[in-house]
Amino acid sequence: MGDSQYSFSLTTFSPSGKLVQIEHALTAVGSGQTSLGIKASNGVVIATEKKLPSILVDEASVQKIQSLTPNIGVVYSGMGPDFRVLVRKSRKQAEQYHMLYKEQIPVTQLVRETAAVMQEFTQSGGVRPFGVSLLVAGYDDKGPQLYQVDPSGSYFSWKASAMGKNVSNAKTFLEKRYTDDVELEDAIHTAILTLKEGFEGQISGKNIEIATIGPKRIFKVLTPAEIDDYLAEVE
Amino acid sequence: MSRGSGGGYDRHITIFSPEGRLFQVEYAFKAVKAAAVTSIGVRGKDSVCVVTQKKVPDKLLDQTSVTHLFPITKYLGLLATGMTADARTLVQQARNEAAEFRFRYGYEMPVDVLSKWIADKSQVYTQHAYMRPLGVVAMVLGIDDEKGAQLYKCDPAGHFYGHKATSAGLKEQEAINFLEKKMKNDPALSYDETVQTAISALQSVLQEDFKATEIEVGVVRAENPVFRVLSTEEIDEHLTAISERD
Repeated sequence: MGDSQYSFSLTTFSPSGKLVQIEHALTAVGSGQTSLGIKASNGVVIATEKKLPSILVDEASVQKIQSLTPNIGVVYSGMGPDFRVLVRKSRKQAEQYHMLYKEQIPVTQLVRETAAVMQEFTQSGGVRPFGVSLLVAGYDDKGPQLYQVDPSGSYFSWKASAMGKNVSNAKTFLEKRYTDDVELEDAIHTAILTLKEGFEGQISGKNIEIATIGPKRIFKVLTPAEIDDYLAEVE
Repeated sequence: MSRGSGGGYDRHITIFSPEGRLFQVEYAFKAVKAAAVTSIGVRGKDSVCVVTQKKVPDKLLDQTSVTHLFPITKYLGLLATGMTADARTLVQQARNEAAEFRFRYGYEMPVDVLSKWIADKSQVYTQHAYMRPLGVVAMVLGIDDEKGAQLYKCDPAGHFYGHKATSAGLKEQEAINFLEKKMKNDPALSYDETVQTAISALQSVLQEDFKATEIEVGVVRAENPVFRVLSTEEIDEHLTAISERD
């Protein structure tokens, strides 16, 4: 694997000092479906649009939000196939940590290792950066945490964040509504309202995905029926 | 402002264009269309049927060797639309992977697991410069122990979805429009209805009536979960049933 002819980096500096491949990767993320995350005082909620290319697609076969460990989950905006690669690598890293230390990997460490993988692909030979930004939600001994990781491999902890097509409207909406002591249930409602803001068409449990992690530290993807219940509450 | 595409290689290898697109992947999709063949897959209540055109470019060719329908295991079938050589590579690797899975884990590789494997391999080609994406769209069909009849489609970009019905190739969009209307109310199609929906969709979209030798049909049924290619006689029966119905 890895032809020696490509043992040079494809991501190189432009004369102005920019890494243009990373910028283009961010553009790819910006044209992806909107996703967001909100950190509450007692948990984290992440959500995303789930717009499928046709009604013929079996929406039960698609799950955009994935768990990495029982107490850490992740959602993305951007290129689905790239996301699958990162999920696989992260799950393996989490499992290797567990096998070595016999305890669950802390959220910060898993995020750091995933980000390191993404950075590798901006520097290694013959590869392009990942066309995804990730929102990692977890609950460990340090409490509820939400991290955003970008194609460059840089990551930050957020109280609330959004990515994808509707990012600026969504972030403005979140800034207005966020309070430091918001509870998980309210955060779920806020997440739904934020998604609704930029949603084209009729929102339902079948075209969005929501996942939460609460004080019991179990990452759970909501069923379409549960989402519909929350949607009814929001009305 | 940085200079455009940084050397203009974004069209030659799978690196990002300034708009965040992967041109090589988009060109791979075009290569699938250039094969000038349309394929259709339909999932019924307890069966799946895939249909594709059988274009034999030369009368001197041995028709039996011209095929796009490949058994991967006894229970899984794959319909490859696009470049034949790329299809054969994909099929060879898929067969190997499915056989290893059966050996390693002691049970048959499920449809969605194989589809994910194919899609993940395709993703690698979109990220590493040393290999180009394959010019093939693969439809994988089989009967899953828990979920029943399954039809998955994998494309050069690395996407894969389960489908109630789908299409690939030259008239992909027209076929999908046709199928969306037919499948709108989630009908629970019987085996015969599934096969006839697939064949009549192809006939309608290409606006021609086929002879049994001009199409290939592959099926799996819950009552006999083996992947089977229909014989010319069986295809004829279905074609007759369709024309009598209309």
